[in-house]
Amino acid sequence: MKCDSCEEKATVFYTQVTDGKLKKFVLCDSCAKAKGITNPDGLLMAEETLKPMVIGGPEPEIFPVKGQGACSTCGFTISDLQKVGRLGCPDCYQAFSAEIGQRLSSLHKGVLHVGHVPAGLARKREMSHKVLELEENLEKAVGEERYEDAAVLRDELEKLKSGEEESLS
Amino acid sequence: MMRFTTLLKHPADWMTGHGAETSVVLTSRVRLARNLADAPYPGWARKVQRQEVMAEICQHLDELPLMKDSFSHELSDLDSLQKQVLVERHLISREQAARNEGSAAVVNRKQSLSLMVNEEDHLRIQAIQPSLKLEEAYNLAREVDQGLEQKLAFAFHPSWGYLTACPTNLGTGMRASAMLHLPGLVLSDQIGQVLKGINKLGLAVRGLYGEGTESLGNLYQISNQSTLGESEEEILQRLTRVIGDVARYETQARKKLLSEDPLMVRDRIGRATGILTYARIISSKEALNHLSMLRLGADLGILPTCLLESCDRLFMETQPAHLQWTAGRKLLPDARDAMRAQMIRDQLHSDLPPAIDISGKEL
Repeated sequence: MKCDSCEEKATVFYTQVTDGKLKKFVLCDSCAKAKGITNPDGLLMAEETLKPMVIGGPEPEIFPVKGQGACSTCGFTISDLQKVGRLGCPDCYQAFSAEIGQRLSSLHKGVLHVGHVPAGLARKREMSHKVLELEENLEKAVGEERYEDAAVLRDELEKLKSGEEESLS
Repeated sequence: MMRFTTLLKHPADWMTGHGAETSVVLTSRVRLARNLADAPYPGWARKVQRQEVMAEICQHLDELPLMKDSFSHELSDLDSLQKQVLVERHLISREQAARNEGSAAVVNRKQSLSLMVNEEDHLRIQAIQPSLKLEEAYNLAREVDQGLEQKLAFAFHPSWGYLTACPTNLGTGMRASAMLHLPGLVLSDQIGQVLKGINKLGLAVRGLYGEGTESLGNLYQISNQSTLGESEEEILQRLTRVIGDVARYETQARKKLLSEDPLMVRDRIGRATGILTYARIISSKEALNHLSMLRLGADLGILPTCLLESCDRLFMETQPAHLQWTAGRKLLPDARDAMRAQMIRDQLHSDLPPAIDISGKEL
């Protein structure tokens, strides 16, 4: 999807509701930045930018499209999905989780994946579980003033974290 | 890198020389759909994005020992005839053949592995094995998958598994299928019942070239439909069991036909032999259907067993694109029908010397 102002890839998707009418526009990173609408905190700026469109109207309601029928990563919409039966990008599963979730039981034997998990991911997930557990224990040990235990836990945690960095690099 | 001509000069391992083992189940195939986590799916991506994904995947593919000296081409480098030949060999899909820049086809030397980059998904890994060997095919595809998952971040969700472009492939991203030759069940009018039964088990049945194609030559593809909620092993075991059952029904049906209605069976096989031995013009559809009867005759011992392999080769080599590739030029349908008839005749005259010699120039 192209930016409304230039030829770049659109990464920012806004929907504006005025008088019950929906207006959508998509912008690339730099155009969005130039117009000051890179994040929801910049909404005031966005209103500035969009003023010409809403002169005389009531206060415009502006929000990122997320949850409004388009994937915030790629701009694919739920009606596109209904049209082509395919999704725009992996993040669409997050954006349309409700709609897809409803359909899954009619498509498949189950609704939960029980098959293979990519090796790298499995290892990473195991690591992060371990890190979380150690951090919890560490906090508890500090809270209970068991400083010797805490020191051991901290060393273990550091070792795990540095090991992770090594395996990632 | 292997050239297209080298690829085609050698028939794939799964195409030749397996005799009785493949009398009902010709081939087993497993494909795994994988996508990069941070890129739009090919159908929603711009050309530049597709090319980036292709470059990244192909680079890692090249490093896999399993894919050493493979055939690897961007689809835009292949002409329409070359693409069609790959489709006829089941090495790429019809959907992939319609693509150009930013899509690639990678085939290993043995043609047991074919990878489609930027078809419906970023990557589809397909493994083919002769006869009913779904486990083996899966293990082969997994070897490639395993090599790549170390280097690439595949789109994966803890509860939904591999995130594919189409939710129908979600979960394992695995489609396993087998190609079956079922003339016995067709001749004995049991095929409808069997297909209905297969459908009831949640499995899909299709014709020779996948989705939406009619059955020619009594060839059927049985595959899993569901990809979520079961492990790969469960899916493969269930499918192997059902396909094994169908193969047994087929074998029984063939024996029963021969003992209960030998005249009809011999008549069908005899007529097919007559037409294929003497015809000068034959369409692809007619050829497939008669070759199917010849294949049945070879399996039942009515015709020489060597015909089994000849039929399987002719199934492939008499397809329109293969014919034109052999001829070295584009052929109009009429010319193809004549060439097809000659090719089959030549093969049969060596396997099965005809009683009447009309191979001479007098005709």
